[in-house]
Amino acid sequence: MADETQSRLLRWATLVLLIQSTVLTLSPAVRERTWDVDYRLSHWLGFFVWLALMNFAHRATIKLLPERDPYLLPAAALLGGWGLLTIWRLDETFGLRQTTWLVVSTIVFTLALYVPKNLSFLRRYKYVLLGSGLLITALTLLLGTNPLGIGPDLWLGCCGVYFQPSEPLKLLLVIYLSAYLADRVSFRLTSLPLFVPTLVVTGLALLLLLVQRDLGTASIFVFIFTIMIFLATGKRRVLLSVFFFLALALFVGYFYIDVVHIRVQAWLDPWIDPSGQSYQIVQSLLAVANGGTIGRGLGLGSPSLVPVAISDFIFAAIAEETGLLGTMGLLLLIWLIVSRGMIIALRSADRFRRYLAAGIAAYLGIQSLLIMGGNLRLLPLTGVTLPFVSYGGSSLLTSFIALAILLIISNVEDSEPAPLEDPKPYTFLAGTLALGFASVALTCAWWAVIRGPDLLSRTDNARRSIADRYVQRGELLDRNNQPINITQGESGTYNRIYLYPNLAPISGYTHPIFGQAGLEATLDNYLRGLHGNPSSLIWWEHLLYGTPPPGLDVRLSIDLSLQQTTDQLLGDHVGSVILMNAQTGEILIMASHPAYDPNKLDTEGDALASIPSAPLVNRAAQGLYPIGNALLPLIQAEFGIVQPTESELENFYQKLGLYRAPSINMPVAFDSQHKVVKDLKMSPLQAGIAAASLSYQGIEPAPRIAMAVNTLQQGWVVLPAENQPVEVIQPAAANEAALAFVIEGKPYWSHIGRATVDGHLITWLIAGTLPDWSGTPLVLVVALEENNVLLANQIRSSIFSLALNQ
Amino acid sequence: MSGTIVLALRLITALALYGFLGWALFFLWREVQRQGVSLATRRVPGISLSVRHGNEPPTIKHFAQPEITLGRDPGCDIPLMDDTVSTRHALLTYHHGQWWLEDLASTNGTLLNETPVSMPTVITSGDDITCGSMHLTITLSPNLVIEPTQRLEK
Repeated sequence: MADETQSRLLRWATLVLLIQSTVLTLSPAVRERTWDVDYRLSHWLGFFVWLALMNFAHRATIKLLPERDPYLLPAAALLGGWGLLTIWRLDETFGLRQTTWLVVSTIVFTLALYVPKNLSFLRRYKYVLLGSGLLITALTLLLGTNPLGIGPDLWLGCCGVYFQPSEPLKLLLVIYLSAYLADRVSFRLTSLPLFVPTLVVTGLALLLLLVQRDLGTASIFVFIFTIMIFLATGKRRVLLSVFFFLALALFVGYFYIDVVHIRVQAWLDPWIDPSGQSYQIVQSLLAVANGGTIGRGLGLGSPSLVPVAISDFIFAAIAEETGLLGTMGLLLLIWLIVSRGMIIALRSADRFRRYLAAGIAAYLGIQSLLIMGGNLRLLPLTGVTLPFVSYGGSSLLTSFIALAILLIISNVEDSEPAPLEDPKPYTFLAGTLALGFASVALTCAWWAVIRGPDLLSRTDNARRSIADRYVQRGELLDRNNQPINITQGESGTYNRIYLYPNLAPISGYTHPIFGQAGLEATLDNYLRGLHGNPSSLIWWEHLLYGTPPPGLDVRLSIDLSLQQTTDQLLGDHVGSVILMNAQTGEILIMASHPAYDPNKLDTEGDALASIPSAPLVNRAAQGLYPIGNALLPLIQAEFGIVQPTESELENFYQKLGLYRAPSINMPVAFDSQHKVVKDLKMSPLQAGIAAASLSYQGIEPAPRIAMAVNTLQQGWVVLPAENQPVEVIQPAAANEAALAFVIEGKPYWSHIGRATVDGHLITWLIAGTLPDWSGTPLVLVVALEENNVLLANQIRSSIFSLALNQ
Repeated sequence: MSGTIVLALRLITALALYGFLGWALFFLWREVQRQGVSLATRRVPGISLSVRHGNEPPTIKHFAQPEITLGRDPGCDIPLMDDTVSTRHALLTYHHGQWWLEDLASTNGTLLNETPVSMPTVITSGDDITCGSMHLTITLSPNLVIEPTQRLEK
């Protein structure tokens, strides 16, 4: 019966890992969406070694332990294999090492099955075992290293083989405490013989671990000690006092130990410093959120974004690639081991073996809960491993020895269990652990499903820029469908190309390190395919690939040929130009100089932000300049030749919209500080919108730059303006004022204004077609950060002669 | 295409994982079932007690159950109607392959072959038990196995 159960369950475990391996092999094809890729094959070595080893272990247990518990080995094998494949997927070098460690662990596991079944030698040599464990751990103080090169020196080793002695020390502590407590008959809580030696030994180990700053292992020691004393005495006050002690230690550590302070801070509020102190935990939560319900599939997520994903954060990696379904299964597997361990404890024939089995079950359960809770921000982060799953030879070896001990204890042939004075401690311990696993499950569901979508749209989610490499981004086109910003390359190497760099301050950029700016940022949802596509397509693409669908092209109102002329005229001068359709608000030209080349962001990106001439700023929409006398034609239209009072002027400016940001789908600025009229500043865009009223019946248009989006089903769909046109000046007065500023022999009016800021002169030019112009009504704004009327007039003449004669 | 195939494989992985867990649960249930059945069919060797009181002719009772209570209470398996016997006087239990006699803190004590019983004691065929002034003789019949009554299954 036991043999049949065990072999059936092992076959299921093999099936799970076989399909997992197949998914991992195929994953590059899914990522790049073509069959012509390099398939991943190296992990099959890990799979077949696992298969051979578990077969071997299975046969050994059948031969040596006929009455063992049949659930433990399959559950541990599945956990171990799952971890192994995840490590292969994350890092092939570590995958190979973990495979080697699995070979060592299985051999030691099988040898351990040969020891005498009553485990009396463990009981006899308890001090020798624990003493040598402590000694080897103490050696790390002198000879310790860290294989990763950073962090605490907790390992011993040379020649590429490293061992962390604090891992087996946990098991040795369980053995020592079980033996010591089983040798004592009376369990009075106050009895000195019960407490002193155990406390001294545990205290010594704790001190050692604290000096090493191995706080995770230290807290597990405290838990193991507490649980063992609780099982022996049955007094809940032991738990309460230790709980109090731990809270106190956390409190003191928060103020005096940096590591604890950082960890607790990151736990209480990770969102304060997501790129620094709480980077790990935020990235871990993002990974869980990306997993969602069914996960991305092995090899299809980005779990390597989380630091130390192979050991401390392997739970987050598993959550990302197998989702909530996978983590629930993982939790149930660990719970199966823990609960069977508790049952083995209750069935065992003497007190030593009972304490030992319960202690091992509690140690495996507590350690799993600590690290999973830490990954999910349920508990402060403690750097311990997930038993059987995490990378680490010492951890894997210790877990398999613990498994061997549990199996040996479970191998009782129909003997009566030892009497039990009080079942309460066992019920209480099992109940508490079950509660812990349930909390982890609920927290996981919370981050993966309920908070998931919010988390994934965070800008520090690097998965967005990874997706950009695999999914074609939509293009930005001018009004005649001339490409401006395009995406080139193949899936996996998509790259944004900026064909017209002079437009960069307006169209912006999208970059994995520098993020997004300009229209690339404000139109991102269309360009990324998240708006304008049917939601079923978005859902399906996310399910299959974890990415948005291919992006949609957006047509801008910019006229590239006019833009080119303007950029040539503006040259090296600092300033901006806007040409707008006065009726519809479509922006035909928007130039801001100096510009920058977004194609060179990789090399020049860092320096751009600190250049004094601020090339990243779109001066046309975000540059704020003093008004000076630039709006004279409009003031004349409103007030005639009468000089308006300050409050009248303020009301007029209010009506023109100078006190609010223009409603347009791009980054804009307005003067939110200077409420005093004479100090008010405006952007060239605001000036253009206001001036348009003189060329089109006193009506301010709603500005537009994104005209239409090319959807899959309906073709080009017009993007409506974000606002309605408003009448701001009496049409007759507007017409009259426009005629008052007419340029002799030309179909347009024009006005030069001047303003000063910090002693520098600003040259304003506003101009527009006359009210009786039969073609498209246009309005032009030039703002130069220098005293250069000549250039302003030259730009006006050239642009109007080009635009009006078309 | 590759995405759809891998999606199917991902779902099958989840199914296989829960297949493992489902089988584990199924085997656990079967274990409970088997444990129940094996306990229910565990055979208790028959025990006969002949009760003597004064000069009356002895009455003989047969039992096939693992627990037999002796006392003045009419609910006891062997009611002993005598003032020297306590309400619940002594207990016979079968475990570890033996019949055990245990005194239930009776007023006048229980004697096994004239020796007072202070802790659960193994008894064998032919032993004499004295509860107050009542005398019982044990006859164990290992060959006479009385099948415990079982509910008929449909």
